[in-house]
Amino acid sequence: MTTSSTRRTKREARAPFRRYHLFFYLLLGSIAFSTISAFVWVFNASMKSNREFIGTPPWSAADTWRWENYANAWNNANVGAFFGNSILVSVTATVLGVALSAFAAYPIARIPFRVNNLVLSLFLAGLMVPWMVTFIPLYLTLQELGLLDSRTGLILVYATYNLPLNVFVLVGFMKTLPYELEEAAAVDGAGPTRTFVQIILPLLGPALASVSIISFLNNWNEFFYALVFIHSPEYMTLPLGLFQLGQSADYGTNWVTLFAGMMVTVVPVLIVFALLQDHVTKGLTTGALKG
Amino acid sequence: MHKLAQRRIVIPFLLPALALLGVFFVYPLVRTVGISLSEFSRTGRSTFAGLANYQQLFGDPAYYNALQNTFMLTFVGGCMLFPPAIAIAWGLSQRLHGERFFRFIVFAPIVLSVAVVSLLWKFLYHPTLGLINPALKGVGLDVLARTWLGDPATALPAVAFTSVWHGIGIWVVLLCAGFERLPKDVLEAGRIDGAGEWRLFWTVMLPMMRDLFRVLIVLWIVQSMQAFAFVFIMTDGGPFKSTEIVGTLMYRAAFDHIEFGYAAAMGVVLIVLMLVIAQVLNKVLKRDDVQY
Repeated sequence: MTTSSTRRTKREARAPFRRYHLFFYLLLGSIAFSTISAFVWVFNASMKSNREFIGTPPWSAADTWRWENYANAWNNANVGAFFGNSILVSVTATVLGVALSAFAAYPIARIPFRVNNLVLSLFLAGLMVPWMVTFIPLYLTLQELGLLDSRTGLILVYATYNLPLNVFVLVGFMKTLPYELEEAAAVDGAGPTRTFVQIILPLLGPALASVSIISFLNNWNEFFYALVFIHSPEYMTLPLGLFQLGQSADYGTNWVTLFAGMMVTVVPVLIVFALLQDHVTKGLTTGALKG
Repeated sequence: MHKLAQRRIVIPFLLPALALLGVFFVYPLVRTVGISLSEFSRTGRSTFAGLANYQQLFGDPAYYNALQNTFMLTFVGGCMLFPPAIAIAWGLSQRLHGERFFRFIVFAPIVLSVAVVSLLWKFLYHPTLGLINPALKGVGLDVLARTWLGDPATALPAVAFTSVWHGIGIWVVLLCAGFERLPKDVLEAGRIDGAGEWRLFWTVMLPMMRDLFRVLIVLWIVQSMQAFAFVFIMTDGGPFKSTEIVGTLMYRAAFDHIEFGYAAAMGVVLIVLMLVIAQVLNKVLKRDDVQY
């Protein structure tokens, strides 16, 4: 599927209304209604004061818009720092994971050597084995390497856990390319490295986009390893930072800062997603099914 | 010449990825088995203990409770996930008005982090400050109001619902792809023969997507067995251990009680269980392929 076929023009007519469509409109409409009201509720709560949050009914509108809650969350509750850490860790790990898996997938898919299948199954084992059960030795290993409680350690671990799916998708994609490509390049005098960089890599566009999106989403949302490996607040990623903020909101009374922090993290992600919607969903299907 | 030159790049191309995989996946995996066979003292010294951890594990009611809850979470969540996901995907395959908007709404939660979604729902479920109970009371349904996360009867379903709400978009996307690949001529033939949409759905569409369902169910089970963040953030295993799952029990054993060996044994058993379940399911659900 190309972008032009998914981006439907206005002129293309919608399906004519049939009676049973009413069921779908009701179903989708109620989902939309409840999701939107959940976010409106958080937004509204993030504008209240703590006293107001406890004292007024949940759906009463905030009496004034307290944008200072957002400044508080960003500066005093460190949400800004968490955000920066999350961007740094997810972007670096995604780039590293995608680059390394593109290099690794090339020989596996295109160059027959003795242990092709063994190497591939080694990578694919990462898809079968539940990743979270290795957390104790991983903790010890990171400790021995001096990478515990550091962003570098988290980046390396995230990049590693992106590898299996990336290799799986990229190998599948590369196998569909015609073998004449390499032969023609060899005839023209290009070495294998140059062939890979100048001919194969540009053709991988859609597959690379797909694995990058999936990896980034996974890294951005990862919670468990961050919880286990990171202890210093200055290295925490967003999910972990917000969790800590949530814990202190439970015991203290500072709810509105937490809500403001949640909105700060939710809104940019939703805006980016709204802009990239087609690419993200298409990437997910390519990665999950066609691979 | 060309073949030889190609061979020379095999090792340098593979090495960086293999090194990462070796250090952060294969080595820890092997070491998990080793750790599960040893006893860790509080000072960090480990001694070989044989199968003692496994023996302790199989006699531990807390572990059985966690296993049972893990299966419950998988089952209850699956029941909450698949019927609506199929209905939504079916609806989205009909080219409705506002399709893009609906797709956005259904898919949007997946791009939000699990931590944010868990915190959001923890507050929505809050008996007095949240949204659900006050809304129920507002429309006169006081009887339905519950302390959702504080009641052992509703805590697990409430957590399962949250994880379904978060992840349903992915399943809808995959199911949509399944609906799109249905052969149009077969459906048209059915319509010409006078079959209603409902009947086509049950007798043509669903059977044709059986293979996809099999894959999705296995995926769902594998994913649910590793559930952690939703439970950890929303209930932390409570109330009265009613939402304690293998993931949270393992984490607590390792970092609250420093029983590394015991926690690793739980991990090893989880791996074995998952592989067995996935195999069995694949066999059981695999019927003769429908020809079309």
